[in-house]
Amino acid sequence: MSNKQILLGNEAIARGVVEAGCEVAAAYPGTPSSEILPAIAKWADDLGTRTVVEWGANEKVAFEMAAAASFTGKRSCAVMKQVGLNVAADPFMSVAQFKLKGGFLLIAADDPGPHSSQTEQDSRFFAMFAKIPCFDPATAVEAKEMVFDAYDLSERHNVITMLRPGVRVDHCRQDIELKDVIDLSRPASFEKDPNRWVCLPARVKINHPQLNEKREAIRKEFETKFPKYNYEVPARKKARLGIIAAGVSFSIVTDILRAWGADDVSVLKIGTPHPLPIRMVEDFISRHDNVVILEETYPVIEMQIPDRTKVKGRWNGWVPSAGELLPEIIEEILCKVLGKAAPEGAPDDLRKAAEELNITPRRPMLCPGCPHRASFFSIRQTLPKAIYPSDIGCYTLGVNQGMVDAVLDMGASITQASGLYMAYKADGKEQPIVASIGDSTFFHMGLPGLASAVYNKHAFVLAILDNSLTAMTGGQSHPGIGDKLRKGETGRKVDLEGAVRGCGVNWVKTTAAYDISTSRSLVKEAWEYARTHEEPAVLIFRHPCMLLRQKQAVIPVTVDPEKCIGCKFCINFFNCPGLVFDEKTKKAYIDERFCVKCGVCINVCPHGAILATEGEEA
Amino acid sequence: MQYVIVGIGGQGILFSSRVLGHIALSKGERVIGSEVHGMAQRGGSVISHFKVGDYNSPLVKANEADVLLAFDQNEAVRNMHFLKPGGHAVVNTHAPAFAENPSLTKWMSEREARLHTVMGYDMLKKEMGGRFLFLNVLILGAMCGAGVGGVTIEEVLEAVRALAPAKFVEDNVKAVNLGYEGTK
Repeated sequence: MSNKQILLGNEAIARGVVEAGCEVAAAYPGTPSSEILPAIAKWADDLGTRTVVEWGANEKVAFEMAAAASFTGKRSCAVMKQVGLNVAADPFMSVAQFKLKGGFLLIAADDPGPHSSQTEQDSRFFAMFAKIPCFDPATAVEAKEMVFDAYDLSERHNVITMLRPGVRVDHCRQDIELKDVIDLSRPASFEKDPNRWVCLPARVKINHPQLNEKREAIRKEFETKFPKYNYEVPARKKARLGIIAAGVSFSIVTDILRAWGADDVSVLKIGTPHPLPIRMVEDFISRHDNVVILEETYPVIEMQIPDRTKVKGRWNGWVPSAGELLPEIIEEILCKVLGKAAPEGAPDDLRKAAEELNITPRRPMLCPGCPHRASFFSIRQTLPKAIYPSDIGCYTLGVNQGMVDAVLDMGASITQASGLYMAYKADGKEQPIVASIGDSTFFHMGLPGLASAVYNKHAFVLAILDNSLTAMTGGQSHPGIGDKLRKGETGRKVDLEGAVRGCGVNWVKTTAAYDISTSRSLVKEAWEYARTHEEPAVLIFRHPCMLLRQKQAVIPVTVDPEKCIGCKFCINFFNCPGLVFDEKTKKAYIDERFCVKCGVCINVCPHGAILATEGEEA
Repeated sequence: MQYVIVGIGGQGILFSSRVLGHIALSKGERVIGSEVHGMAQRGGSVISHFKVGDYNSPLVKANEADVLLAFDQNEAVRNMHFLKPGGHAVVNTHAPAFAENPSLTKWMSEREARLHTVMGYDMLKKEMGGRFLFLNVLILGAMCGAGVGGVTIEEVLEAVRALAPAKFVEDNVKAVNLGYEGTK
């Protein structure tokens, strides 16, 4: 029987983490990293390890849990997406200077593009900022292999290491070799040593120079001891061009060169972009007249090269400074550098066909039946003049309903509401404000902002859209749910209303998200309370996420073409994939391919044209 | 063999590449591909890349796909540029008139690309109570029916039996066969 399986890159990385003997793993979900922690739990169960695998309430929490576990000598691992590392940046920068005990691996998943993020920042810069080593895998196979070396390096140099997979590694599917677990048999043993575990300024004077020494020692190793990650693919003939490539860009460029049958281009693969094996890179540059650097998303390798005279990269505009380096873009760069004819762009005939057939890319939308859609509808109908700061999650898609006016990062719905209130207050004006945040995001970073708003007496309504799930990232648990990750482990549910009251909020009520009429009167009541008492009022909209597929009433609906006047109110304010507009008949209709028969839209049409159909109750 | 699979978030397109992967692995072939997760999955346009053979990159480049599997005809048109000359598009169709669009037929015929349509929604509505989630295997059946994609209907059925949850195996098999009959 083959020990190969086709795995998602994230599952492969997780397998590596378990095989490498990691005993404590923590994360907060975020695309493209979300599948890693559940996969660690799954592999740990399959392989029978005792690995403790837990979601933290946010990335900072998760990072600190994993960091402290490594103080005991155990191998640990923290997992997050690139913007999650912003949240965990504080402990990350401190821990970088520690003389660690157990191997500590940070997996920071980047999202060039971006596909599902608010930035396309490059976590390798964070590794450089913190002066710690970073591995940048080109494939899922390599990512798994790098996990072992990252732990080994971490323990030999007592320093945190980073694995930085990009989205095309995380979400690639590849055949992966499975191995057994390394049995480390390490009991947790925390040895009290304030000089080691307390980040006093006096210690920094010793730790920082030590960190510099570690970095240079690791750089030396990267120069010669990691030929499996840093190597040259030589040209068969004299090279006209040298390419330095890292991450998935290496995979893409080698596929293109092979398809071309190119024999006069050599490639230097860099799997350890920080600290950069500078000698190796300079030697490669010295042997080529023309060098292109392909890396995502920022010029991390490029900026570490002292002399860039021969380098074509981002500093001189040869490589785009934003966006994902897709195969088509890399091919275009190569053609330009080599003076080859540019490949065929998007063909005119196809563009014309799409225009003639009225085809545009479909924007992401809230799922059919999503409770957030109903919640947003109730709020906008009640307080149409309000400003709507919102947050990071599925409900950011409320932008389609005109219900998302400002989004920054996790938790900022509440703090932006505060800031908006303060700005209008400076003018002595009253401005309705309704902030929206999800249940998981509230526990992630909503609590400090809410406590601050209560303390400072900021008048706004906070709508907590509680769908009992971290939904956008695929349905993970969080403190407000209580389920834990490893099979058979139960946690304790943190009461959401109680947490809100604990922050000092006096007006807290809960409404059924699907019940538009009750929700509307409660939104009104909440704002009235907030306005008159000058403090935040919190209204919790509750209904389970459709991903949970919980049983609910099945209410088939239809649009009565006699009553529909074609005003598009339902399209603009409700925005459901199952409710669409026919431009020919100028009427709305139910698209059965997507409708889930939640029946909410019956209460949406001002002309009563959306009706329940009878006799089909399931 | 390079496949591009396109559709709308929520249609279950990831399962199709899992089936193709299962078949390739059982033949001892190397596979690599790319999927879409996260916000992009929520009802928007989604695209999966899948390559069988000696490749490093998970992405299919424009003009290089052997097969375009489309769960939605609009997404098919938007992504047709992935097809290589002589490539095949297998398209789940709800409004068949699109196939007559002169710009599209001109582009297809110039590069000898072939369009295979299958009325998946109609079939699933009629035969399987409108459970449109089975499109992901129906379309694989349609690909085999059209005689393209480098896998046989037997291989698809075997893989679907191995991968589908036990209580849905028979439904999956039925959907594969519906698709197969639809393009044969």
